[in-house]
Amino acid sequence: MVEFALPANSKITKGKTFPAEPGATRIKKFHVYRWDPDSGANPRIDTFEVDLDKCGPMVLDALIKIKNEIDTTLTFRRSCREGVCGSCAFNIDGTNTLACTKPIADIKGDVKVYPLPHMPVVKDLVPDLSVPYAQYKLIKPWLQADTPPPTGERLQSPEERAKLDGLWECILCFSCQASCPSYWWNGNRYLGPAILLQAYRWIADSRDEAAGERLDNLDDPFKLFRCHTIMNCTNTCPKGLNPGKAIGDIKIALMKRR
Amino acid sequence: MNRLDTDVLILGSGGAGLFAALHAKAGAPDLAVTVAVKGLLGKCGCTRMVQGGYNVALAPGDSVERHFMDTIEGGKWLNDQELAWILVTVARERVRELENELGCFFDRNPDGTIHQKAFAGQTFDRTVHKGDLTGIEIINRLAEQVWARGIGRLEDHRAVALIKTRDGAAVAGVVMIDMRTGEFLFVRARAVLLATGGGPTMYRYHTPSGDKTCDGLAMALSAGLRLRDMEMVQFHPTGLLAGPETRMTGTVLEEGLRGYGAYLLDGEGRRFMTKTDKRGERATRDIVSRAMFAEMRNANTGPMGGLFLTMGHLDPVEVRRQFPGMVERCADCGFDLVSGLVEVVPTAHYMMGGVEFAPDCSTVLEGLYAAGEDTGGVHGANRLGGNGVANSTVFGGIAGDTLAKWTPKHGKFRDPDEAAIAAAEAECLKPLANPPGNLEDVRERLAQLMWDDAGIIRDRASLGRALNGLDELDKALDGVGVAGDDLAYNLAWHDWLNLKNLILVSKVIAAAALARDDSRGAHWRADFPATGDLETSTFTSARLVGGKIDVAMRPVKFTRVRPGESLIKESAAE
Repeated sequence: MVEFALPANSKITKGKTFPAEPGATRIKKFHVYRWDPDSGANPRIDTFEVDLDKCGPMVLDALIKIKNEIDTTLTFRRSCREGVCGSCAFNIDGTNTLACTKPIADIKGDVKVYPLPHMPVVKDLVPDLSVPYAQYKLIKPWLQADTPPPTGERLQSPEERAKLDGLWECILCFSCQASCPSYWWNGNRYLGPAILLQAYRWIADSRDEAAGERLDNLDDPFKLFRCHTIMNCTNTCPKGLNPGKAIGDIKIALMKRR
Repeated sequence: MNRLDTDVLILGSGGAGLFAALHAKAGAPDLAVTVAVKGLLGKCGCTRMVQGGYNVALAPGDSVERHFMDTIEGGKWLNDQELAWILVTVARERVRELENELGCFFDRNPDGTIHQKAFAGQTFDRTVHKGDLTGIEIINRLAEQVWARGIGRLEDHRAVALIKTRDGAAVAGVVMIDMRTGEFLFVRARAVLLATGGGPTMYRYHTPSGDKTCDGLAMALSAGLRLRDMEMVQFHPTGLLAGPETRMTGTVLEEGLRGYGAYLLDGEGRRFMTKTDKRGERATRDIVSRAMFAEMRNANTGPMGGLFLTMGHLDPVEVRRQFPGMVERCADCGFDLVSGLVEVVPTAHYMMGGVEFAPDCSTVLEGLYAAGEDTGGVHGANRLGGNGVANSTVFGGIAGDTLAKWTPKHGKFRDPDEAAIAAAEAECLKPLANPPGNLEDVRERLAQLMWDDAGIIRDRASLGRALNGLDELDKALDGVGVAGDDLAYNLAWHDWLNLKNLILVSKVIAAAALARDDSRGAHWRADFPATGDLETSTFTSARLVGGKIDVAMRPVKFTRVRPGESLIKESAAE
């Protein structure tokens, strides 16, 4: 189970400091988690001084600037840079969020950037997401309907359609997943908020005919009921979604059918 | 070098790649199908970023003929008409498949049927959408299906070279770099699909994701394939302008805003589109972008050198309801889309050009297939908003069907040209031998050069400057090294490889633009402003011969409709 004494090489050490160029006036310090699995060294925190007068407004702008101009070995995932792909989710200023849509100006004092918590690290800010993806597959996130499809679309009323709002917009950045203390503790058995939000997206879809089976699969003390409504998930979601409520709705659906 | 065998190797995980994987697996379940992608499956690439939607003729009163004619008129008669016909007809099938089989869900009319909205350059409201974030819905559902169906995944793997057999008769496999470790991998495959997406990210302002660097086009060129219509780079009129230092600059504000009635204003707050086109802001992307570029050249601009988009005269409640993603994006950068002014700039969005391919997605190289933005011919000189994701899903699915039929019968594991594998590896390792230098300087110069000299408005002199400048940049890049002591997730190394591909494809764009001495769709020659004779239309066909770009002009075949005619009349007469 949980190791209370951390292994020696997981302790984070102080790394290098890269001072701003002379003449910089609006300096912000970025403390960034660095780890290279091949080096055998402990993870470290490097400090980069960035001149905000020469940097875009978002944390991702600063990270790209650091990588391009200060230390080209810094590694992180990024793709769309507009809050749609969910690749650049990090722990920023103590909260999991997307670097591309997080304004530097919203952060008081120094900016701390860590990988998503409690995910294995591939290198620097790149997490290994294979466990949440495997869990995602477990909920069979695809349309299941035995009724043969009509020649046209399956009809759905605006009211039924509205039930999916707040669910389909999830971009699978796993910010919520990695913010949940229950998931940190039981991540091998508890599905976590991101996966459960997706599960409810299918349960709530009037076109899907497997809601009963979906609920059966979730009716488990660990898969679902490790949610203790801590609500870190909802507080951290960069898209403003509410996984906590979706989990509550699954619990209600289970109670109702008993 | 590590080796891996798979029956079918698909490069790219956007709409084309994932649809191909699903159809290949469905048609031939025994085939080992592997999707390889530069980032995470479904997360990198641009299908996910689709905002507006998916063009398809569904509604009563609309017809495939009408959709076809809009596509051909929009493409200024340069389209391969057989490909365009497939696009508009199969789109009807594909959208049902997306809904009924994959579980996508698009917005509805009050009676429960699919809602379709207005997009520029179309004679009918035919764009299927999910709010203004349609791509998330499509790509999430596709990715889930791929995870569910035992399809292999090589994530964080970039393809660097197509490897043929020693006699050059067929493709044998692909050299890749496992980005997580920095190790090379040769994947041998009976069939390979090129579906990496184009992505004109060599321009100062651009919309595609950071992963998109024309890798597929560069690999195709190096393998000797022909690329058509490469001068046709679409600029979307309304890219967000949020300052030079931010990656947010260039991200697109969707076409539906203009479709819904947004105005474009110059620096003084006056509408200018009504001067240029009777459709005003709802004119096609090329016309609006060019009018904007002209205003910008006259310095008739806002504080950051752009123009203004406003929706202040429209119902604020509806704007918020219909465009939540766009309202949020503007707010992120300090703009109020609902009642204020948003500074915008035309932004490089899409490449109509690409690999020449047949209606079944085959190419001239045996075993190599292509689909999506890596291909050319479907859109001609201009792409209608909403025809992009239709293209990738329609032809991705067709590629998958073809792969399922062709591979078991004709696909063989062939012996690769080992010398070519070694050469590809050596080429990639070149920058590691040089002292680390300033890659950003090369990137900056490339972005400015292409924007100024090979962008929205071009002429012979500017294109000459572009071609010379690109040669210089190529040499400059060869002299810039990358620290190679740790190749695992070495982003600077991949930046170098990305730039190499961008420069090569930029040269093709400039060379094709120089070869075309008329102005059509996205291609505007200030020294040849006339459209030219439609009846004798030709398209550019470029390839690499001994390191030099060779451009031929080929006649367009009007297989379904000739300039001046319309299929709509015929169908009405039936």
